[in-house]
Amino acid sequence: MTATLACEGLRKRYGDVTAVEDVGFSIAPGQAYGLLGPNGAGKTTTISMLVGLLRPDAGTVLVGGTDLAADPRRAKARIGYVPQEIALYPELTGRENLRFFGRLFGLARRGLAGRIEEVLDLIGLSDRADGRLDTYSGGMRRRINIGAALLHRPDVLILDEPTVGVDPQSRKAILDGLELLVGDGMSLLYTSHYMEEVERVCDRVAIIDHGRIIAEGTRRELIAMVGSADKIELVLDGDVEAAYAKLRTVEGVIEAARTGAESVRLIAEGGRYLLPALISAVEGSATVTATQVIEPDLEATFLHLTGTSLRD
Amino acid sequence: MSGRPRPVAALVAANLRRLTRDRVGLFFMVIMPFVSIAFVGMALGGGTAGSDRLPVGVVAEGAEGSDPVTTAVLAELRRHPDLTVIPMDDAADLRSGVREGSLAAGLVVPSGSTRLELVMTGTNGSGMAARGAVDVSVSRVAAVLEATRAATVAGATETEAAEYVRQAQAEAGRVSVNDSATTGGDPRGFAYTAPANLLLFTFINSMAVAAALVESRRLGMLQRALTAPVRQRSVLFGEAVSRFLVAAAQAVLIMVVSSLAFGVSWGDPLAVAVVVGVFSLVATGAAILVGTLLRSPDQAPAIGPPLGVVLGMLGGCLWPREASGEVINAIGHAFPHAWGMDALLTLTRPGTGLGAVLTEVAVLAGMAVLLLGGSLILFDRRTRVT
Ligand SMILES: Nc1ncnc2c1ncn2[C@@H]1O[C@H](COP(=O)(O)OP(=O)(O)O)[C@@H](O)[C@H]1O
Ligand SMILES: [Mg+2]
Repeated sequence: MTATLACEGLRKRYGDVTAVEDVGFSIAPGQAYGLLGPNGAGKTTTISMLVGLLRPDAGTVLVGGTDLAADPRRAKARIGYVPQEIALYPELTGRENLRFFGRLFGLARRGLAGRIEEVLDLIGLSDRADGRLDTYSGGMRRRINIGAALLHRPDVLILDEPTVGVDPQSRKAILDGLELLVGDGMSLLYTSHYMEEVERVCDRVAIIDHGRIIAEGTRRELIAMVGSADKIELVLDGDVEAAYAKLRTVEGVIEAARTGAESVRLIAEGGRYLLPALISAVEGSATVTATQVIEPDLEATFLHLTGTSLRD
Repeated sequence: MSGRPRPVAALVAANLRRLTRDRVGLFFMVIMPFVSIAFVGMALGGGTAGSDRLPVGVVAEGAEGSDPVTTAVLAELRRHPDLTVIPMDDAADLRSGVREGSLAAGLVVPSGSTRLELVMTGTNGSGMAARGAVDVSVSRVAAVLEATRAATVAGATETEAAEYVRQAQAEAGRVSVNDSATTGGDPRGFAYTAPANLLLFTFINSMAVAAALVESRRLGMLQRALTAPVRQRSVLFGEAVSRFLVAAAQAVLIMVVSSLAFGVSWGDPLAVAVVVGVFSLVATGAAILVGTLLRSPDQAPAIGPPLGVVLGMLGGCLWPREASGEVINAIGHAFPHAWGMDALLTLTRPGTGLGAVLTEVAVLAGMAVLLLGGSLILFDRRTRVT
């Protein structure tokens, strides 16, 4: 079966900075694919090459088997792209913004109004469609931003951190909507630095760091890479730096990272059974004021693979 | 469900609708030009075509009808479109009228002589304009007299000579209408301020909508538009057409309202359309250039309109050109406004058409090509996929 979206060997350099190096993956029809990585990892650069806004220094992009470089307009017609920053006209209403994109993507005049209505319904903004965009909340703008990419019924929807700066209610609405679309057979490329979102929405995930994909697989496969290790969060009071140094050396601790002025995150074999050893290890430098043990997740995998936390 | 992408229609519709949401911008497009035409027009001696003429007092010592020189000079002066001839009896009254300013200039025509006396004060604008007009009329009379004399010397009878000269005069009469456009003074009142404000506001408001283009770039609208299945040059074209339509709409609005409300006659419609069209292209090019060079949308209103005012000032759009020195008027011709004024003022004279303003149209078209070409190349570089 032809992949809805496939890329191979993508590279982009800015002078000495390598933004993206040898990135490749493939998204099957109806698959929700996640690109997970911290800020500056190269997610936006990768996406920009996939939608034809950046020319790769090397590598190829195929959209439904069509080479983006060879036939850009045919390839672009199958993609719905939702940029990281909201790109809509603030003086126009939500409906007028959608009409703009409808014309841009060549929706037939006759079907346009009806299709706009469908999309407004899908993003839950039918009743606010005729207000000016600059009167909308951040979450509503995000939803129109996504709706604008759906009008032409793309084969694959590409979203660049669609929930940044969004209230929890809108975030839930967005994620629910995406699950519906995937349920209806649309492919999805979802990038985020929020592990929970990627875990919830995506069937398959690539972890990207410093421009390279460092791990790729289903959620289960990725978590299994960490083995049976658990994530342990400790809040410390005292000389946290010295305590951190001691914790790293405790038997069973695989990875350790500072996550705040008073907090430390550990990946450790044995989880809660290790807690007494950890508490006694920091004695003399600091006291442990709170603990939390979390079963393995993608965050743990990320920490395991990179030695750094996903969110700094 | 699917048709052909319509990027130009999409961009034009969106950009024009954005403009209608900008109350302040609309005020400057729809209200301000007419406030300016009315106020400056009235300050410049107001009124429409009739009272546009410069009053010239004439003391004729010989009787009109019997003395050939007097008859010819008075006839020429009356024919001149910019002059009103006021017959007077006394040379002293004439001088005081000129001194007080109730007459733009005065002319004393002695009986049986060709030594005419021109009376005017210093160098005020209407005096200079009247002098130009009088000079034209008088030199035409002189040419007739000279031609008659030459024909008689060459052996023609007086009647034959008069016939030759009448023929020659008829030819010259046709040609001299064009001549008078450059030698005569500019029209006054609304006939001057309407074209002046058309150029001024078409340009200024084009510069102001450049802000919308900067805003589109800042918002990432153009980049996002390029992710649609469209050619990049369609997006550039759509943005350019949007700006041109705004400039052209502004010009048409000023022409329609000024002819209905102020009785301004613009001249040959085709020629006016060509001049206003190329000027709108110049304004479009300038707007895209500014919209491409600036980074923040707040810079456009801060830079564009003041630039438009300065260029308008140099081109004679703020006050009559006869009030500016020759240096200013010469500098003005480095920019589009002065050429636009030349062309539109020429066209207000009866009998003129596209042929009379070919130079101005060519210069404006050259400027449009340079500005549009340059700005589109720059715009293309800034939006191209890299
Ligand atoms: N136009 C550019 N010029 C120079 N460096 C850039 C440019 N765009 C991105 N980068 C760099 O490339 C890296 C990846 O950026 P980006 O793709 O935006 O990351 P992400 O979207 O994952 O946060 C960063 O180090 C960033 O500074
Ligand atoms: Mg990004």
